[in-house]
Formats: sequence, structure tokens, C-alpha cells
Amino acid sequence: MAVEGMVAVGAGLAVGLAGIGAGLGEQGIGAAAVGAMAEDPSFFGRGLLMTVIPETIVIFGLVVSFLLMFM
Amino acid sequence: MISKIIKRTKISEWAYIVARVRVMKRKLIPRDEYAKLLNMDLNEIARYLEETEYKKEIDELAFRYSGVDLIDHALSLNLSRVYSKLIRISKGLPRDLIVLYLRKWDFWNIKNILRGKMFGFTNEEIEATLVPAGEFDEDFFKSLLAKESIEEIVNAFRGKPFYSILEKILHGSKLSDVEDELDKFYYTSIAGLSAESLDAKYFIDFIRMEIDIVNMKTILRLKKEGVPAEEIIPKIVPYGYQLTEDEARKLAAMELEEIYKAIENYWFVRDLREVVMTQPMSKIENALTRIWAERMIKKASNYPLSILPVLSYMLLKKIEVDNLRIIARGKESGMEVEDIREQLVIV
Repeated sequence: MAVEGMVAVGAGLAVGLAGIGAGLGEQGIGAAAVGAMAEDPSFFGRGLLMTVIPETIVIFGLVVSFLLMFM
Repeated sequence: MISKIIKRTKISEWAYIVARVRVMKRKLIPRDEYAKLLNMDLNEIARYLEETEYKKEIDELAFRYSGVDLIDHALSLNLSRVYSKLIRISKGLPRDLIVLYLRKWDFWNIKNILRGKMFGFTNEEIEATLVPAGEFDEDFFKSLLAKESIEEIVNAFRGKPFYSILEKILHGSKLSDVEDELDKFYYTSIAGLSAESLDAKYFIDFIRMEIDIVNMKTILRLKKEGVPAEEIIPKIVPYGYQLTEDEARKLAAMELEEIYKAIENYWFVRDLREVVMTQPMSKIENALTRIWAERMIKKASNYPLSILPVLSYMLLKKIEVDNLRIIARGKESGMEVEDIREQLVIV
């Protein structure tokens, strides 16, 4: 396989694996946030914030894939 | 492999129920409020409760009852609703464990119905004490109340594993012995299980700690009343956490002073010595309950993603309902504020 192909696979893995990791991390936080919100809607803001924190990992993955594809 | 990881963790089941329970725990009546409640009269207490989580129940029942009856009925109804809610909002292992724990209330209800019927209380009085939160629902218990004889009530449980215990009433056993055996059946049926996972182990340890507390209360109460050891020993529940059956039997055979020395190193004895030596039994029981609840709160914060926060909430809710009932009953019978305060378990 050409180098370009390998780079594309790597970029895909960077985003994909980061996404799976973030998803696993979020399952507990999301469930807890929804639970807290069900009892007291004022937890909406904080719950949402906590839930998206693991998303930063996906952004790192995305940055890495951009670097791979365009550098 | 991924499915294995997801299956193994199942974090979301715990996270959801624990987060909900934590928010529910914030809505419990804070300890400082009891001082205020103690200085209110019955109507003010009812009005105060209307501003709390008990509003719905008070509103619903206000046209049927008043005064202390209203508070009593509302508290029971609220407790059973909270427990049913816990079952409704959980799933998987948490749900199974909650259901298993709440079976306690089935036995509580059966005991109350039998006792009420035997001593000629009205159906309405018995109904006020029922908390249909376990395997059997409200309609089932109402159908039991409608039955005329004890025999019919006992026969309704034909085929259940505890039927053989209930049947003893029909053959002339004392009600108190049957009640003890029902409690024993409940605790041994759970504590005797082998823990398949860590989550189940936390639960079984909780039950076993409760057994310690129950045994200790039984031994101390009966000792204070001067009951001989032979009568105490059959009432001891096996599978204690630290206080094994053998040790409990030994304690039952000791004199009171020896017991205080022998139990010094157990987990539930902290600060208890002073109380045990000088105070009446009701205060010792309260002290044990308080130590038990405090210990559970601590353990629950050590193991946040487990059944322990849920169990400690259930415990605290029960304590709150008991406290409110004591205040209402005390006020109705004109007890002094200090005397009522001594009966409360404030955690």
C-alpha cells in the first residue's frame, strides 16, 4: 500500500479510536447527568458540561488526523 | 472484546441510580430543621411537611384524615412511594438488589397484619402502618386485610418459602416467635447467598452489618429486661458481619457488664460505652442506629459506584420518616420537647 493510504488509515484510526474512548468515558457521566437532571432540572448546565469533557479527547484525535492528512 | 468491556463495566447503570439518589438525598430534611420542628404544633408540622417532599401525600390525604393520623398516613404513603420509585428508576443488578432489600417490608407488613388482626385493631389502623414496597403490592395487602380469620391470611401465602413459618401460628406457636423466625428467614436468605461479584458483596456485607446491629439490639434489650440466655439465643440471627453467631451466643450468656467489655472492639461500639452504661434501652437503640447510619454514609462515599449510596439513602429516608412520626406522636400526646428530642435519631 502506498504511504498515502497508510496515512489515511492512521488518520481514521486517530479519530475513530478517540471517539470510542470518549464514548466509553461518557457512558457513566451521561447516565449520572441524566439521573441528576431527572430529579432536579437545575443540573442541566453542569450535567451537560461534565458530559462533554471527554469529547476533548476526540478533538485531539481530530487534530492528529488533520496533521497526518495535511502535513 | 468491546462488548465484553461494555458488559463488564456497566457503569451507566450505577451512575444513573446513584446520581438520582444523591439528588434525592439532598431533599431530605436537614438536621438543623428538627430543632424548628420540635417547637411546632401538629398543624404547623403538617403545614411544614406540605412545603417538603411530603406535599403530594399530605394534599391527597388531607380530606380523609387530620392531625396526627394525616401525618402518619402521609409518611407511610410517601415512604412506600419512594421505595417503589427506586425500583422503577433502576435496572439490571441495582434493581435486583433493591428489590431483594425491600422484601424486608413484605415481612413487616405481614407481621403488622397478623398482629393487628390478633389484637383486634381496625383495618384502617393496620393499613396506616403498611408500607407496600416489596414483592406484594398494596392491593394484595388490602385483600389480606379483608379476610376474616388468621387462617385465611396465612393460607394466602401457600407455596411461598416462608409459608412453613407462618403455618406455625395455626399450630399454636406464639406470634412473637413467628415474627422472630420471619426476620431470621429474611436475613439468612440474603446473607447466606454467595457473592458472585464485588457489587453483590457490598450488598451482602451491608445486610450482614445490619444483622450485627439487629443482634446487638436484641441481646442488649433482652438482657436489660433480665431475660435468660436460653430465650435470647433462638432469637439471634446468623451470618453477622463481625459478630458471628457463636460470638453472639456467648454474649447472650454473659452478664451486662461483661458484654460491654466483650464488644469493645466491634465496629458498632464507637461512643457506645457511655450510652450503654447509663441510658435506657431506647437511647441505646437510637445510638446503634445512628452509628449504623453514619458508618453507611461513610462507606457509601468510599464506594460511590455501588449499591451502598442507594442503601444508605433508604436507611436515611426510613430514619427521617421515623423521626417525623415520633415528633408528631409526641406532640399529640403532649410530651416535653426534650423527651421527644431524646427519641430522635439525628444523623
